[in-house]
Amino acid sequence: MRIHGAGGPVVELVDVVRRYAGGNGAPALAGVTVAFEAGTFSAVMGPSGSGKSTLLQCAAGLDRPDGGRVRLAGQELGTLREPKLTQARRRRVGFVFQSYNLMDSLSVWQNVLLPQRLAGTRPDRAWAREVLHRVGLAGRENDRPGQLSGGQRQRVALARALAGRPEVIFADEPTGALDLGAGREVLALLREAVDELRTAVVMVTHDPAAAAWADRVVFLADGRVVSELADPTVDTVAARMTAVTAA
Amino acid sequence: MIRLAIGTLRRHRGAYLGTFLAALLAVALLAGAGLLLFSVLTATPPADRFAAATAVVSGTRDVTLTTTREKHKKGKTKTKTERLSGAGTLPADLAPRLAALPGVARVVPDAAFPVELATTAGPVRGADVAPVIGHGWSSAALTPYRLRAGHEPAAGEAVVDSDLAARGGLTVGDEVRITTRTGVRTLRLAGVAAPTGRDALPAQGALFLADREVAAVSGLAGPTAVAVLAEPGADRAALLAAVRARVGGAPVLTGADRVRADLPGALPDYIGPISVFGFTIGITAFAAIFVLTGTVALGVRQRLRELALLRTIGATPRQLRRLLGAESLVLAAVAALPGLPLGVLVAHLVAARFRHLGVVPAQFTVRINPVVLLLAGFAGALVTLVAARFAGRRAVRVAPAQALVETVVAPRGGVAARAAVALIAAAGAVAVLAFVPLGGPFGMGMTFISSALLLCAVAAVGPLLVRLVSAVPGRLSAGTGAAGWLAAATTRVEVRRTAAVAVPLVLMFGINAPLLLNGELTARLAEDQQAARLAGADTLVTGAAGLPLDTAKRVATLPGVTGAAATVPTRVVLAQGGKPQDYAAQGLLRIGSDDVLDLAVEAGALSGDGTFAASADLAEAYGWRLGDEVPLWLADGEQVVLRLSALFTRYRGFGELALPATLVAAHDPRGLVSAVALRHSDGAVAERIGQHWPELRVVPTAAATRTDDGNQQGAWELLVVVSLGFTAIAVVNTFAISAAARRREFADLRLAGATARQVHRLVDREALITVLAGLALGVAVTSAVVVPFSLAQDGVFRLVVAPATYLVLLGGVAGLGLVAGALPVRLVLPRRGLPALGDR
Ligand SMILES: Nc1ncnc2c1ncn2[C@@H]1O[C@H](COP(=O)(O)OP(=O)(O)OP(=O)(O)O)[C@@H](O)[C@H]1O
Ligand SMILES: [Mg+2]
Repeated sequence: MRIHGAGGPVVELVDVVRRYAGGNGAPALAGVTVAFEAGTFSAVMGPSGSGKSTLLQCAAGLDRPDGGRVRLAGQELGTLREPKLTQARRRRVGFVFQSYNLMDSLSVWQNVLLPQRLAGTRPDRAWAREVLHRVGLAGRENDRPGQLSGGQRQRVALARALAGRPEVIFADEPTGALDLGAGREVLALLREAVDELRTAVVMVTHDPAAAAWADRVVFLADGRVVSELADPTVDTVAARMTAVTAA
Repeated sequence: MIRLAIGTLRRHRGAYLGTFLAALLAVALLAGAGLLLFSVLTATPPADRFAAATAVVSGTRDVTLTTTREKHKKGKTKTKTERLSGAGTLPADLAPRLAALPGVARVVPDAAFPVELATTAGPVRGADVAPVIGHGWSSAALTPYRLRAGHEPAAGEAVVDSDLAARGGLTVGDEVRITTRTGVRTLRLAGVAAPTGRDALPAQGALFLADREVAAVSGLAGPTAVAVLAEPGADRAALLAAVRARVGGAPVLTGADRVRADLPGALPDYIGPISVFGFTIGITAFAAIFVLTGTVALGVRQRLRELALLRTIGATPRQLRRLLGAESLVLAAVAALPGLPLGVLVAHLVAARFRHLGVVPAQFTVRINPVVLLLAGFAGALVTLVAARFAGRRAVRVAPAQALVETVVAPRGGVAARAAVALIAAAGAVAVLAFVPLGGPFGMGMTFISSALLLCAVAAVGPLLVRLVSAVPGRLSAGTGAAGWLAAATTRVEVRRTAAVAVPLVLMFGINAPLLLNGELTARLAEDQQAARLAGADTLVTGAAGLPLDTAKRVATLPGVTGAAATVPTRVVLAQGGKPQDYAAQGLLRIGSDDVLDLAVEAGALSGDGTFAASADLAEAYGWRLGDEVPLWLADGEQVVLRLSALFTRYRGFGELALPATLVAAHDPRGLVSAVALRHSDGAVAERIGQHWPELRVVPTAAATRTDDGNQQGAWELLVVVSLGFTAIAVVNTFAISAAARRREFADLRLAGATARQVHRLVDREALITVLAGLALGVAVTSAVVVPFSLAQDGVFRLVVAPATYLVLLGGVAGLGLVAGALPVRLVLPRRGLPALGDR
């Protein structure tokens, strides 16, 4: 099922510009060029409002940049129109949003399988069950999102992203609402997806400890990539972060 | 609080649009129906033919019964009145006796009787087909009419008003033909007269004869009124007292009341329309309140999250309740601004249509009354307020913590209360259907009340019922792709929302279908019975306006005619328990050996003078048995006692009673035969009729089975159009409100990987499930009402009644629901758009 590009990056952004209407001049993304390889775990960091979420959305085809190009698994997103864009996205991309975006009227189990149902593919139930178990929600399949805690909902969203075995997972602060233990679980799960399934993971986080799970950290400020760090540790990340914020 | 309310209203303009629209239309309908009812209740006759008279002594114009009942040791007297369709006469010697009173300048005995006026070119009637009323020339002084051309009528002559002369193209010296119950006459036009400043009185044309010919032409035994003209400077009070002392209890009318002494048929009938408008206001008020309540409740429920947020920042339930109340008041007030003018417009449009249909007199005008408008606006505000309070009574107690989670669920409960409301309403409907005789004159009204009650029951336990009836379509849908599966899940889980959208569909079908079907059934039964009654007849002879009984007799005795039946339509007043009530009746004349009018006599036999026949239902209602001597009042108020000789069952489109034709012709001011049904042995009969009476129409009975209820049917259909229109808007409105509140849900679906088209399909499928559920309940309500009504009419079990109407209505409601469900989401979520991330 996995169509491996010829070793190239799964996601590639070239000179991406995104300007919001009424954003008093300063663009949210002011020419970002960055690539994410299969089987790598990347963290995106930067001050609040620096354009991290916008970057993820442009990369995932949820938002159209005003300039530049985005390639997803070898496909030029700029040339895709709806509904092709949605179809490409649901096949290749898993997304964990800052706001969890679960369907209130569906159960946990139904939510996890929803993208596959929408794609019309036969859901891989065993894998979905496994994923739910891994995020610690075994036994909660029949609950509705409204009956779960915030962290639990975040984990359902993560399970949903993983259940489709996407080529890339974008996660916007997936551990933001979690306690230390649960957060570590989630990070381990993402790490595992990278190592065992060669999924590319792009994770926005404010937490140097979370970023330390990644293979690489990209630093954003004012809509630009200002710095990069390979094989991060908590200390190197924290130090670089301080430098970026001060600049 | 008001400022805060205005603030929230402005911020959530979109969310309130639906409620605003519902309130606007509800206020408009209430105002429109209110103005119509007010106008008809306060309508005054357009002109007074007795304007120049000081006082008018009137003959009998109604049947008044006074009963005394012992109650708590106190005699309680009740007076009930029923208006006559004709006019009673006064003694011929009353006028000379009054003339002798001091202060009286002149006394004019006045006769008023319907005349059918025709020229060689055809019948002539007044403006807006106003009837032509005949008088003696001395009555001209009462208005006064003055000659514009020619001279007073002598024997064999007539004077008409200018308007009639113009319409008939008549000039002095022309010949005119007049038909009254006493026969057909040809008169020479002696002159043209007119009231001061106009060509004719509104609503009645005038034809004057020589005074001494009045009795012979009209067939009246005396004057229908006696007008008294006082000497200038006379003591009016003393004069009136003297007159009253002489007239032996007859009404002495002065001022604006004088007009009541005129012939009832010469005055616009504002009594009949009262029931039509009463019914109109009943239907519209019900639909308006029903829809508004539902919309307000839906709106409040969709704002639970916001209410919960207000709770977190410290608002007490009491404050929220006040906020909701203030919001609804502001909303209703703003909605009333365009709503009231719209109501005025609605009233004018409906009135115009009703005038056109002849349901209301041509002179009917809509009177705009500020109090009625205020009341309508107030009622709208009250309903909005109560509905918001009711919907909010649980919502305001929503736990503040709910604001912090994604889903906000209103505290459940109130199930017992809702079930109780539903049970009571349903029991009420059953009681109405079981115990009120639906075959009677109030059948239609009663079926409306029972459908209204059933609809209330459905609304009260809507989610429960919708869950039940949507189970099957939901399950079927679940097996058909992702969208179908999702639709099944969302309609089931969000059953309250599904119900809120389905209930207007139930209303639309459940209120209009019984109206249409029952109306169609009664019309069809009347036509069927008419056809069955005339099955034995070959031809039907009618005149442009009717034919005198004498003419009918001569037609009936033409050579070759083997059987004939002539009918003289009239109205008869009966009394039961001290309450007079009028009924349609026919004077019936049968000649010849063959029976040509088959009333389906079930017991006894039709016989001659001194007897009458009644419909079996009426006899049962009044507890009559064959052979009973029954007192009844004829059109002119004359009380007669007739023996019940036959019971018949084919009364639809005919009348509940059949009386001797000569008796009817003598006491009904019109007293003309409407049709003569003939059976003949040879085909030359039609020719012979044509030779003798060229003005008569001869048609085969097969082509003449229409009854006279055309304008009632038209009024009915107009009512249905108004209520269909309103309920249709309600359907569209609720779908739109529901869709508008689901942007977030749609966006989430898009983020989960649904294409826009998949979301569209989901919503279409939801609409389909909702429509099916709504129609199932609508059909249930309709059947519960239509079946008993049909059984009460003729004992036949009918579920569908009129397949074409049923299908059109089913298809129309379904189509509307599907379109209304499909459109909003396509506006909110374009096919080519990206999933929305902001605005959450
Ligand atoms: N829908 C929008 N309309 C207008 N401006 C927006 C919109 N979304 C984001 N922005 C602006 O774009 C800039 C980048 O926003 P973005 O959400 O990408 O920041 P972020 O780095 O994710 O911040 P955080 O860490 O707080 O989530 C901000 O200045 C923000 O105000
Ligand atoms: Mg962000």
